[in-house]
Amino acid sequence: MARKNRVKLITVSAVIAVASLALSAIPAQAREIGVSATEIKFGMTVPMTGAASLGYNKIPGAVKAYFDYLNANGGVNGRNLKLIVKDDRYVPTEAVAKTNELILKDKVFALLGPLGTANVKAVAASVNPGRRGIPVLFVNTGFSGFADKKKYPTTYTAFPSYIMEAKIMGAYIKENFAGKKLGLLYQDDDFGSDALAGFKQAGIEFAVKVPYASGSQSSITAPVWITKLQAGGAEVVVLFGVTTASIFALSAAAGLKFAPQWILGSVGGDATTIKLAVGPSAAAILNGAIGASYVPATTDTDDEYVKLFSEIYAKAVPGQAFDNNVIVGMNAAFLTAQAVKAAGANPTRKSLMKAIDTQGANFASIALVPLNYSSTSRVGYNGYWFGKYSPTGDLKPVDGKYVLYTTDSGAGAIVKSTYKRPAMPAKGLPK
Amino acid sequence: MHKVKSSSHLLTFIFFGFILFLISNRVDELRVYQGVQISMYVIGISSLILLTGYSGQVSLGHGALLAIGGYSAAVAKNIYHIPTPLTFVVAVLITALAGAILGVAAARLSGPYLAGTTLTLAIAIPSIANQFKVLGGEQGLLFDVGFPPLSLGENFTQYKWYFWIGALCALISTWFVKNILGSRYGRTWRAIRSNDVAAELSGIGIARSKILAFTISAGVAGLAGALLAMSISTVSPSAFPLALSFSLLTGAVLSGISTLGGVIIGSVILVAIPELADAVANRIGSSEAVITNLPGFMVSALLILTVLLAPNGPVEQMRAHKAHKNHKIE
Repeated sequence: MARKNRVKLITVSAVIAVASLALSAIPAQAREIGVSATEIKFGMTVPMTGAASLGYNKIPGAVKAYFDYLNANGGVNGRNLKLIVKDDRYVPTEAVAKTNELILKDKVFALLGPLGTANVKAVAASVNPGRRGIPVLFVNTGFSGFADKKKYPTTYTAFPSYIMEAKIMGAYIKENFAGKKLGLLYQDDDFGSDALAGFKQAGIEFAVKVPYASGSQSSITAPVWITKLQAGGAEVVVLFGVTTASIFALSAAAGLKFAPQWILGSVGGDATTIKLAVGPSAAAILNGAIGASYVPATTDTDDEYVKLFSEIYAKAVPGQAFDNNVIVGMNAAFLTAQAVKAAGANPTRKSLMKAIDTQGANFASIALVPLNYSSTSRVGYNGYWFGKYSPTGDLKPVDGKYVLYTTDSGAGAIVKSTYKRPAMPAKGLPK
Repeated sequence: MHKVKSSSHLLTFIFFGFILFLISNRVDELRVYQGVQISMYVIGISSLILLTGYSGQVSLGHGALLAIGGYSAAVAKNIYHIPTPLTFVVAVLITALAGAILGVAAARLSGPYLAGTTLTLAIAIPSIANQFKVLGGEQGLLFDVGFPPLSLGENFTQYKWYFWIGALCALISTWFVKNILGSRYGRTWRAIRSNDVAAELSGIGIARSKILAFTISAGVAGLAGALLAMSISTVSPSAFPLALSFSLLTGAVLSGISTLGGVIIGSVILVAIPELADAVANRIGSSEAVITNLPGFMVSALLILTVLLAPNGPVEQMRAHKAHKNHKIE
């Protein structure tokens, strides 16, 4: 009996083996992966649901809005750009699994705007797009390490790094709040350690430092942070976390009647998202707080980019507010379109990266600071302006004028920027 | 007689391994990557079958044991710089040790109390990593087994390398579990599961046997944990969510909790579900919230359906059906 079973098992196994051999003919690749005669596919992992998703889940919609606009205007060299989005819930292991799907199943040409320092890091280690030659464009994280071309050979940063932001913010604090007791809320990972490094460079000492674990932000943990900041006597508090952390912190502080001078980092400072989450009281809480940005204020409709982007977005996603997340998404899509155009009639992953290396610094963009790509640099933007949140809770430059400061992620000085943004190409389409 | 049987098992496993090897050279990379996950599940589920199906100890928190295995391997590699192949051995040994300690506690508990305790562990253990800097907090630790050896050729992909390692581990561990379940220990565990009073009366040391089952099951789970860590190159608390424990349990129920024969079925289903869910969600064009939650819903639905329609798992059910038919003919 046992013998009979064994023979059967072997027969079944053999049948399975032969069947799978027959089914597995792999078609030959004529064009680059993800590029067809009519379409180029990009893949993105972002938190669409979960603790950190609020606000950031508008980025894919913004990218698609620009791509649709571009495609309606003829695409790039006759090809439409398409975005495939996967929800990673801001969990690194999910990001790895979803990125694998994008690469192996959806066969995307390049990864675009993956979000979160820990996620991009986990993907780099595990999926290893660097070794496979898959471009990772304009990552939605300001971790300075991603600009290291040796370690991340196919990754392009966009945001000014968190070190740059902390350095510039440090200088601003020194100038405007000398002698005040300082408090800091930061995320306890590479995002936060970058910030700490930047503040240290700027010579800023915090009286109270409150770290939080990524994903732990909630209406239960936030009062604990605030109590610590309050007990430490902080007069100026920097919120250097994700948007949901800012939201919980500001709400808890309002509840505990703690009203220091707030300074919001660019990652967690999107006014629209905060207002949406906190409700009508948000404008009053935000009023007078200080924030940083490298793109024009979302309310600045005199700006040609803000005007065009907000029009495109309003048509594509009616009813959704135009905010910083939307600007980031649409700008990344705009940069991508220019990179694809510069990569030639039949773009390959190699020619795409070469195009950014050689021409990326001259790409048109909404930002008020320059791009710094070159054959040796994967640094995107490099500076910030500071402004105050208005009584309606919108971040606006003081006296209506953008004063920009640029620096690097190393020991470089902080310089008042003289960069003049070139005019937008006609209709906001790649030249 | 016994010896002959296990050596013939060995031949079957070697043959099966050869087939896996042939397949790995022919299918595309996505399937190879899924093969890595399947091998991880095969090991995890067989560990759960040994513990729950044979020795009758319910574990709702097997993910915690996988976490211990994954972290042991990563710590062994990153901090003690132990050669990669040995990190898997370390993972097995340390998790087995942890299992032995847990087993001592578990032997005093049964039914819902044991289920509750293991459930707590599944929640508590991964988050311990947040408390110690050396374990890397929420970001976790890297666990990189390295590139495939150059001698395998330039086109040999990373995932194929993972698959070879995973498949080899799965074959060895399944062979080991199969043999131990067929041995005196396996019979002892079944005796305890069926009727512990009767087992004790026939001279079986119940506590000792239960602890042994927990230890061995944990060791096997540790191996699965190390493989999971290998497949994503990292260990972090978020890699071992409660959902992992439930998936393993579902896989075990789908496989047929009291037989090892269906373990591959349960594993393949677990890996196929997210892909199926994706296909369904794309077809009906649903929202992100639906897409994210659909796999969990499908796993739960399958679990309930299996319990209702084939409580002993499809393989056992088929066997029973066949036995019934044979009986009729006679």
